[in-house]
Amino acid sequence: MVPFRVIWRNLFGHPVRSLLTAASLVVAMFLLCVLRSLVVTLDAGVTEARTDRLVVQSAASLFVTLPENYRGKVAAVEGVKHVCSWTWFGAYYQRRENFFAQFSTDQDTLLAMYPEMEIVAGDYERFRLNRNSCIVGEALVKSYGFKLGDKVPLIGTFIQRLDGQPWEFEVAAVYRSKAGTLDSGTLFFHHEFLKKAREEKLCTGEEGVNTYVVKVADGNDPITVASRIDSLFENGPQKVQTTTEAEFNAQFVSMIGNIPFFLSAIGSGVLFAIVMAVVNTMLMASREQTRAVGILKALGFTSTTVFLVFLLQAITLSLLGGGTGVALALATSDALRDALGTTFPNYVVSHDTVVVGLIVTVVVGLIAGLVPALKLAKLNPVNALRAEQ
Amino acid sequence: MITLRQVVKSYSRGGETLVVLDHLDLTVADGQFCALMGPSGSGKSTLLNLVGGLDHADSGVVEVGGEDLTSMSNDELAGWRASSVGFVFQGFNLIPVLTAIENVTLPLLLAPLSGKQRREHAEYALELVGLKDRMHHRPGQLSGGQEQRVAIARALVTDPQLILADEPTGDLDRNSADQVLGLMQRLNSEMKKTIVMVTHDPAAAAHAGTLVHLDKGKLVRIEQQTPVSAGAR
Amino acid sequence: MALVPLNYNLRSLIQRRTSTFLTALALGATVATVAGVLALQQGFETLFTKSGRDDVVVFLRKGAASEGESAFTRDDTRYLVNSITEIAKDASGKPIAAVESFLALRRRKMDGGETNVPVRGVSPMSFDLMGDRLKITSGRTFQPSSDEVIIGAKLAGRIQNTLVGDTIVFNMTPFKVVGIFENDGPAGSEVWGDVERIIEALDRPLFNRVIAKLADSSPDALAAFNARMQADVQSPCEVKTEAEYLAGLTGMLSGLLQFVGSILGSVMGIAAVFTATNTMLSAIASRTHEIGILLATGFRPIPIFLSFMFESLVLGVFGGAIGCLLVLPVNGIETGTSNFATFTEVAFAFKITPQVLTSAVIFSLVLGLLAGAWPAWKAAMMKPTEALRRS
Ligand SMILES: Nc1ncnc2c1ncn2[C@@H]1O[C@H](COP(=O)(O)OP(=O)(O)OP(=O)(O)O)[C@@H](O)[C@H]1O
Ligand SMILES: [Mg+2]
Repeated sequence: MVPFRVIWRNLFGHPVRSLLTAASLVVAMFLLCVLRSLVVTLDAGVTEARTDRLVVQSAASLFVTLPENYRGKVAAVEGVKHVCSWTWFGAYYQRRENFFAQFSTDQDTLLAMYPEMEIVAGDYERFRLNRNSCIVGEALVKSYGFKLGDKVPLIGTFIQRLDGQPWEFEVAAVYRSKAGTLDSGTLFFHHEFLKKAREEKLCTGEEGVNTYVVKVADGNDPITVASRIDSLFENGPQKVQTTTEAEFNAQFVSMIGNIPFFLSAIGSGVLFAIVMAVVNTMLMASREQTRAVGILKALGFTSTTVFLVFLLQAITLSLLGGGTGVALALATSDALRDALGTTFPNYVVSHDTVVVGLIVTVVVGLIAGLVPALKLAKLNPVNALRAEQ
Repeated sequence: MITLRQVVKSYSRGGETLVVLDHLDLTVADGQFCALMGPSGSGKSTLLNLVGGLDHADSGVVEVGGEDLTSMSNDELAGWRASSVGFVFQGFNLIPVLTAIENVTLPLLLAPLSGKQRREHAEYALELVGLKDRMHHRPGQLSGGQEQRVAIARALVTDPQLILADEPTGDLDRNSADQVLGLMQRLNSEMKKTIVMVTHDPAAAAHAGTLVHLDKGKLVRIEQQTPVSAGAR
Repeated sequence: MALVPLNYNLRSLIQRRTSTFLTALALGATVATVAGVLALQQGFETLFTKSGRDDVVVFLRKGAASEGESAFTRDDTRYLVNSITEIAKDASGKPIAAVESFLALRRRKMDGGETNVPVRGVSPMSFDLMGDRLKITSGRTFQPSSDEVIIGAKLAGRIQNTLVGDTIVFNMTPFKVVGIFENDGPAGSEVWGDVERIIEALDRPLFNRVIAKLADSSPDALAAFNARMQADVQSPCEVKTEAEYLAGLTGMLSGLLQFVGSILGSVMGIAAVFTATNTMLSAIASRTHEIGILLATGFRPIPIFLSFMFESLVLGVFGGAIGCLLVLPVNGIETGTSNFATFTEVAFAFKITPQVLTSAVIFSLVLGLLAGAWPAWKAAMMKPTEALRRS
């Protein structure tokens, strides 16, 4: 039987050292969990993408707009249930730093297209019926204090009002996103509004829309529908490329750069440092506990037990600190999302991350405890007893 | 109880082999209280460690309680130690982070007992050594003599037939030493334990019934004597 | 006041070398991670800020911060190039100004996936403005008014159809790759072709910027000129030096990297300080007796404090050295990210500048000092009698 009390008590034999080591582990595991959550959040648009949504964009470039009349043509394609346009607006609120995403969209299909959009304040119908209104994500409410009924002034960049005034949209509803496919930090307004302003030559910017998002009707193969759409415009005037939502979102993730590489490099730095820290602690502990190991062996505890005593000690220490770090990351998930504002409006520490965090914690303990535990286990009891206290 | 035949034990240090026990023969009968004496470096602790199954002899036979220790693996030796022998060392006998009772309970973890039984046994052993009232103290909060008595309680808690003590009074003042030696005598006379005790101190050795003298790894002589009883002076 | 001999501490570090080494590694990993982020920031900043030309100004439509946001009609560009008197003239009396278009095109990468490749339509004067900052390293430059392009060296071979002799299709029009060029700035990862041909191929009759050399390039003159152009009725513009323009584009990402670096530095720094504190505490615990002897011989607490601070500073030095060694191999590693102002891919390299190394070493020394303070104070505050009693 493993004398668990010995494990536990040894940890508190040097309370300051254990505390400092555990505190390092708290910090390290917290950091690792946050880093992983950032990646997961970034990837959520890809991993949580729905298979029944397709995105139609210009084959040449995302920055080349598609004609307005494509909306109707796409909607008429067999297997298409809804079409909803997205057009990048690129304005800012008050100052350039207050940058968040704004899109003009089709108010009639937006909610049907995105069931993950949950209205938390106001009324979608009011947004739908009022051409000058907008619907904003929860993160914007938190970051900028937008309220229902507020007129949000936006200063255009490439879509500017020719009279030099800012654009204004009245907040009709606030939404929360229940999935990674929809950002909680976006402002949507009527595409009709933008189209009219362009037609009346009130603003700069090109005609058309950036993308049409398509909902595939039940029972249709999305890939077939995509190729139908592509072939429809094969001979121009604008060639299109229809992709799954996952592929479309993936292009944005890959744009940020080699994020997995950066984060895993930082993560390995953190891990390496923490492993060294815990190894250092466990080596110090093993030196001090050599004589105690001699006593345990003299009393008839086997090498295996001694090995386990020391290894479990390392793992317990690691779990005490690392577990706290993981728990801290979980507990601060909401606070951190609010602090990150519109940069990571969907930030969340998932259960997966918690599990991975705990596994990494145990592995750190294993690595740190393994060598000293083996050394102590192999030690001949006579030599162990001869060790200085 | 103990039979050593032609036991050789040597250590190699920096290419040189140092023969510590040199074809040693020794027999200790059941129920004896035997004091092992000899100059420093004569091999007393080494001998005790072989008898206690802490180390392997290079050659020869070590038989204790009818078991041949030389043929046992390390794990078998560990199991044998758990049930058949109790140790008391010179100092730092106890695990410093555990309380007295926890130290005494430790060997009982290797026996198939319930938690309650373990506690009862440990309390009884502490009572025997007169330290029941200090059972929740850490070694650091006990005097050297008390520490040794806790170590004795731990050595006898599994009720082994053999108790081995390596200079148990080496660090103690006369008074504490007398208490420890008195305890050893009681273990020997009342509980019929076989005891082998290494000591440098003739006054301590006087409490044993048999004196074994060792020098340079060889048995010099064995004397029988009438033990003085502890606290007689 | 007698100081404790320093080699007393050095000996102790050597005696406890495993612990010393592990601690230095933990410090080193922390330092290296932070230095890596700084190196990234330096690489990025060098690419954009340091490569920006001070004597070239960029005209963008008023309100636009980047080329992607800016748009000029043909009339606008004619007006800007020909009617702005502040623009310098070359020997033949032509204004030194170039009209350029800019669009990110979706391209397949050689290693799979797609990326947005910046395609720039340029005028002959664009080359004059670049001067010897742009070097054709293989092939030749494109013929004006022809369907030919040259490719930035950082793109060549990373994107499909970007080697000399390849044909790259924009929309429906095939362009022939005739040369590869090198440039230290963002142009190094662009495709260049004749502006008129590119605009026509993309069916997009808009220009994104005008670049020019000013007759008077002093900051004051530029400021006045900018003010005038902002209020210009015919074509209101923002005018900045190219250096300013590029710095403005990337300020956010550069700032973000600095922010990430300092957050990482402080968070990982805390963990590293704890580790080194542990090591110092253990060093002091094992030398309690010696400290007692020192105190008993008459050494004062301050020298003892200083002595242990020195020891922990040496740990910091080791940590810094290991950190620098660990981070050096990343120097020059190429990586890519998007320029978020234009959503195009830019390639740049980690750059270990002396500044990065200095920051790394100073960071490590600070960590060492922070870690040593409490243990050294504990040692200095020991009572000689008690210290001697404990073995
Ligand atoms: N593990 C070991 N490795 C090398 N040499 C050893 C080892 N153990 C004991 N020795 C040597 O063997 C000799 C006998 O040691 P032992 O401990 O048996 O002597 P002792 O009679 O108990 O002496 P003391 O009275 O000083 O305790 C000594 O010279 C000692 O240095
Ligand atoms: Mg001895």
